[in-house]
Amino acid sequence: MTRVLVSHADEPLGRRIVKTLFHDPAVEVILAVGSGPAPRAFDRFLAGSPPRVLYARGDLSKHRPAADLFRSARLRDAAIDSVVHVPAHGAAAGGARPVAGLPARTAEARIVLQQCLEAPRIHSLVAIGSAFVYRLAPGNANLLHEASELDLDPDVPAELRSWIDCDMLLHGEAQSGALRVVLLRVPTVVTSGGFVFLNPWLEGRPGPRVRPLGFDPLCAVVADKDVARAVRLALRSRASGVYNVSGGEAVPLSLLARWTGRSAWPLPAPALGLVEVALRTLRGRPSARRLPPLRYGFTLDGARAEEALGFRPAYRVGLARAGDGRLRLETSAV
Amino acid sequence: MHPDPLWLDGIPGEALAPPDEGPACLGSDPLLTLAGASDPFFERLDRLRGAPALGPPASGPEREAAAPRVRRNRHWTVTPSLSEIDPGEPSDLLDRWLDDDLRQRLQALSHLAHAESGYDRFGFSPAAFRRAVPFFLGLYRHWFRVRSEGHEHLPSEGPAILVANHGGLLPFDGAMAVVDVLLHTDPPRLVRSIVDRWAGTLPFVNVFFARTGQVVGTRENFLGLLSEGQLALVFPEGMSGIRKPVTQRYRLQPFHVGFVELALRTRVPLVPVAIIGSDDQAPILFDLAPLARRLGLPAFPVTPTFPWLGPLGLVPYPVPYRIVYGPALPLHERFGPEDADDARLVQHLADEVRRTLQTLLDRRRR
Repeated sequence: MTRVLVSHADEPLGRRIVKTLFHDPAVEVILAVGSGPAPRAFDRFLAGSPPRVLYARGDLSKHRPAADLFRSARLRDAAIDSVVHVPAHGAAAGGARPVAGLPARTAEARIVLQQCLEAPRIHSLVAIGSAFVYRLAPGNANLLHEASELDLDPDVPAELRSWIDCDMLLHGEAQSGALRVVLLRVPTVVTSGGFVFLNPWLEGRPGPRVRPLGFDPLCAVVADKDVARAVRLALRSRASGVYNVSGGEAVPLSLLARWTGRSAWPLPAPALGLVEVALRTLRGRPSARRLPPLRYGFTLDGARAEEALGFRPAYRVGLARAGDGRLRLETSAV
Repeated sequence: MHPDPLWLDGIPGEALAPPDEGPACLGSDPLLTLAGASDPFFERLDRLRGAPALGPPASGPEREAAAPRVRRNRHWTVTPSLSEIDPGEPSDLLDRWLDDDLRQRLQALSHLAHAESGYDRFGFSPAAFRRAVPFFLGLYRHWFRVRSEGHEHLPSEGPAILVANHGGLLPFDGAMAVVDVLLHTDPPRLVRSIVDRWAGTLPFVNVFFARTGQVVGTRENFLGLLSEGQLALVFPEGMSGIRKPVTQRYRLQPFHVGFVELALRTRVPLVPVAIIGSDDQAPILFDLAPLARRLGLPAFPVTPTFPWLGPLGLVPYPVPYRIVYGPALPLHERFGPEDADDARLVQHLADEVRRTLQTLLDRRRR
């Protein structure tokens, strides 16, 4: 039986993971940690007696609140032995509000890792990382595996750099004897209804986006339910290391934007620069000109995750007609 | 004379025959040698390497044991045979233009893509391919008047690496090979050309290549194609083949060796493909290398029409094409994956493949 702490449980991806773990009989207790109040979706989970899901508020990107949580009586009483770290996502987490000189996402990954290493009872850390950390060769689609090169270019945008920093922090402890670290690199995560996560260009509010003219790279996508399944399998397994977790589909960026209710305007380079400056000033989005995934696409080789974790995508992503007759993105079981 | 003699492991002082000396140095016909009919080269190689002598190609259970070792997984893409496909009624103008046989073949290719998205994981779109086919079919039938032979050497399923010569400024040779294989295989097969990385940086071109099934030549992509059981077409001469001057036409340039290494590692057969006509479609007088470097291009070839006529100068001459598929070279039956680590052996085998292809070209040009 596992007793799990899930970070960022009040955000959509964290909520999905808590829901999936709640239905796993091998998980005895879930301590959901979020920065806001408990989501209403947790009401029925929190109502049990004794409740299998506990909820705590805390900002894991700051050392003191994180230390207080990891040393709290609540965590000790719950006998938490595993941590699922769902990193903060969105441009803000990538650099807009630095914490102690680091982007919030990086600071949080560092602190969670440190606390897990120091806590005597915690033996597993399963973290979600981004597949946008890879260096992309020119081309519409690159097939990438776990050993593919990371993009260590110093000019990489801050949003991607923070993902790479988190990745390297966790990767560095993957062979640690004291803690079993599993890092799941996931591509663009989509949910029913067309919500997008962990894509530096598409996530956030729906609305127009600009992209370079003449490029329409292939995007690997994975359903949020598959990500939660992969986390559950990683908790159950004894494996450690880095694993690509990807769905069965890959779609061009323009099609993915359309599926998720965003309009993607292809612009030539000079016009792109002007629009980007305006968008960045108004909405703080990363520069489209400098994001390599807007020119070069990738898909992930998930063979390693299949062998070690037993993960195979069980949900496919596509359009379905909703009750009001409109087509919308849905994830459905294969 | 080859400037750098090739040495085998553990045999200091004994050199293998350099590749430029022609087939005579091996004492046999390279076509037959690598295809396995007579193999003094392999006997010699094995004697030098201290391995037991090789007999003729394995058959029966032995051959099955030596079958390609590429992981056969659920992504192994298999297209249905023509008899399993009902062409149905033409649904649009394009369908009316295509004959039933071609519509069946194109429908078969739709099985390569995911049903939901309509794309495979390398960006191939059967719908986009269908829209591009009429143009290339017109070139195939009326501009280049392609004749071809040796289709029996193409595997009906499973992976293989087609090794072809390259030439002619623009890669119409690859396009004609794709159309030819599509028209002459049952189940219909899509050839996935491995294209230069530079093509991946070009706006529009990179999208066009990907949607029509061509793949940028990274190691992972190549391995991914083979593990999906697909036909990969490589031009081991690379850019050197495209920019070679008219005085070198149909003389193969030095080969890159990566395809041999991957063929050994994945135990996939090589099929030599001689494409005659590509070197005549745009005879290159010389390459303005300094200008190419300044423009960031891999080459700036000058032909009788380019750049004098502007973009019109890129139109290939309407020369007849002939495509010849040679017998498969089952290197995987004679060498194991561990041999892929021997750089000198890999280089030597690449030279042998080159010589085999050169012989095929020379014979069919007569």
